[in-house]
Amino acid sequence: MTDQTLNAIERLALVKQERMTANLSKRYGKEKRFRFFGMASIVLGLTFLAVLLGTIFTAGFSTFFSSEIKLTIHYDAAALGITDLNDEDQVRLADWSQLVKQALKKRFPEVSGRKQLRQMNGLSSSISIYILKDRLMANPALLGTTEDLWLMADDEVDAYMKGQVDPSLPELERRFNDFQISLVDDLIASGEMKKTFNTTFFTNGDSREPEQAGIRGAMIGSLFTLLVTLSLSFPIGIAAAIYLEEFAPKNRYTEIIEVNINNLAAVPSIVFGLLGLAVFINLFHLPRSAPLVGGLVLTLMTLPTIIISSRSSIKAVPPSIREAALGLGASKMQTVLHHVLPLAMPGMLTGTIIGMAQALGETAPLLMIGMIAFIADVPNSPLDPSTVLPVQVYLWSDLPERAFVAKTSGAIMVLLGFLAVMNLIAVFLRKKFEQRW
Amino acid sequence: MAKNKMSSIEQTFEGWKSTVGEPLLAEQDTRISTRNVDVFYADKQAIFGVDLDIGKNEVLAMIGPSGCGKSTFLRTLNRMNDTIDICKVKGDISLDGENIYDKRMDVVSLRARVGIVFQKPNPFPKSIYDNVAYGPRIHGLVSRRAELDELVETALRKASIWDEVKDRMDQPATGLSGGQQQRLCIARTIAVSPEVILMDEPCSALDPIATARIEELIDELSNNYTIAIVTHSMQQAARVSQRTAYFHLGRLIEVGTTDKIFTAPDHRLTEDYITGRFG
Repeated sequence: MTDQTLNAIERLALVKQERMTANLSKRYGKEKRFRFFGMASIVLGLTFLAVLLGTIFTAGFSTFFSSEIKLTIHYDAAALGITDLNDEDQVRLADWSQLVKQALKKRFPEVSGRKQLRQMNGLSSSISIYILKDRLMANPALLGTTEDLWLMADDEVDAYMKGQVDPSLPELERRFNDFQISLVDDLIASGEMKKTFNTTFFTNGDSREPEQAGIRGAMIGSLFTLLVTLSLSFPIGIAAAIYLEEFAPKNRYTEIIEVNINNLAAVPSIVFGLLGLAVFINLFHLPRSAPLVGGLVLTLMTLPTIIISSRSSIKAVPPSIREAALGLGASKMQTVLHHVLPLAMPGMLTGTIIGMAQALGETAPLLMIGMIAFIADVPNSPLDPSTVLPVQVYLWSDLPERAFVAKTSGAIMVLLGFLAVMNLIAVFLRKKFEQRW
Repeated sequence: MAKNKMSSIEQTFEGWKSTVGEPLLAEQDTRISTRNVDVFYADKQAIFGVDLDIGKNEVLAMIGPSGCGKSTFLRTLNRMNDTIDICKVKGDISLDGENIYDKRMDVVSLRARVGIVFQKPNPFPKSIYDNVAYGPRIHGLVSRRAELDELVETALRKASIWDEVKDRMDQPATGLSGGQQQRLCIARTIAVSPEVILMDEPCSALDPIATARIEELIDELSNNYTIAIVTHSMQQAARVSQRTAYFHLGRLIEVGTTDKIFTAPDHRLTEDYITGRFG
């Protein structure tokens, strides 16, 4: 009996080496393949990310530069028909476009014929007229004088300057004809055209004219909306999480509440938009398209996220800390406020900022409450109608002018920039409040 | 062998009617008295009819095998079991003659009178100063900063840790070693000036040197405080306590002076435990 057992082991000892060698190489092979697939997945993911960011960046980069024309403006009182700047009627009836037309005529004296004159006058942006009027009204001493100014060019000129117009195409297939090209080339040659950083993108609200369209309205609208959302969802979410985790009795009702909160986190966001429309706008008659209503809708949407992440942060605080506090004679409330909350704060903040970043990018619920309208004014308060960044991206992507293609990507870049900043703040705050126990 | 052990326990339980020895003391000498205390975890009973007195300024050690209910009983003395939902306490427990489970008793002020030190040191993740100052602050015991400073220093001196931390009062308490943390927890408990200190196996997570220091500390503290200490180590019980109570499967088997319990116990179960036959 003993003999046979020994032999079995001895027999194994004989073949062990070669069996193990074969097996080992298979094992290492498997591990190498597994590692390779892991690396490949990461590389693939990064490639997609690079492609995404690259496309957006290359498409949107040009929107941060705009073209300007240098014109010699003569504030001709006779051409305007103004003798006294304080006379409101005179100011109202004056033909301010004459200032630009005269300047261009002086620059290109050879141009004649109504069609060509119109095309020449179209080189400068329509907003130049208002800029000049504001300048003169602010500084009446300019009346009768002459000065050189850099004025914004029309979006078609801007497109040509950025190389988006193909001169080899037949004239009928492009918006910028050869005559206009010749004028612009002349201006370039004499150094009267330049590209500068486009501050109008950040200072103007939305506009039908591509060169004047800016993102300021959408940025301020997003800011107000996020402020309303943060100031409502953070306190309510944290308080709800503390109550549910620390004070609520563990019975069937609280279990039902927990299940419902988890489900709410998965509800499609557009449903919240419908709720906002039905309750906030139709029932409470709050102003349509206002960041206040948008903020209320987004609060409902982010509350489940905040509650869930806050609850798990509170659960993560070790019970020994609570026992220590209670053993010293602290009340339940004191234990939670002085010990549990500070330790749970990093997790709560992270959850909140992630919820805010989600809310920043939400479009569907805001469409339902009306934040999709074309609003050219920058909002002054959360009650003024406005739009938000992602909706602005959507609106611009719909418009035909070529310049809006770049503007859409530019707006996406601004949106991504905000999201990156918010996530960095989340990381910073988490590190700052981290305490070890 | 195991079968014999079990039946001998059952046999001796059959004859067991009440606690052997001297569980009760004269009224003027008693700080805490318990009468007929039963503790239930949901449906399972953990403590059976315990009558025990703890005397003023004495150190009472509670010994017994694992799971015999010593920690459960200790925690009932300052209502720490209130934090456990399924735990129910029946019977009378009085501190200086007042029933602590009375509806009118404020549990917060009770815990300021009966402090507790836990098995694993659990300082707050705050500075050493704030750890000791927390109790006095929340109970409103001191009004001025200078008073608080003095109180903190006194507590730390009494816990014999002042010299080691006086230069690092603002640093986090979690940076101290295990033994220092436990002494800090004791200082924290002393800072609210309790009448009784409960200690639940305070040295079981510490090395022998730290253990020795804490045992010295308990000796000094017993001059001013009543101390009830649960311990697994019979040597520790023999070193620090004046009276010892032996628990077994939730029942208080025997109480007597430490000398007697460890040299000539009356009950068979006590003798079996201290001679190492089980537990």
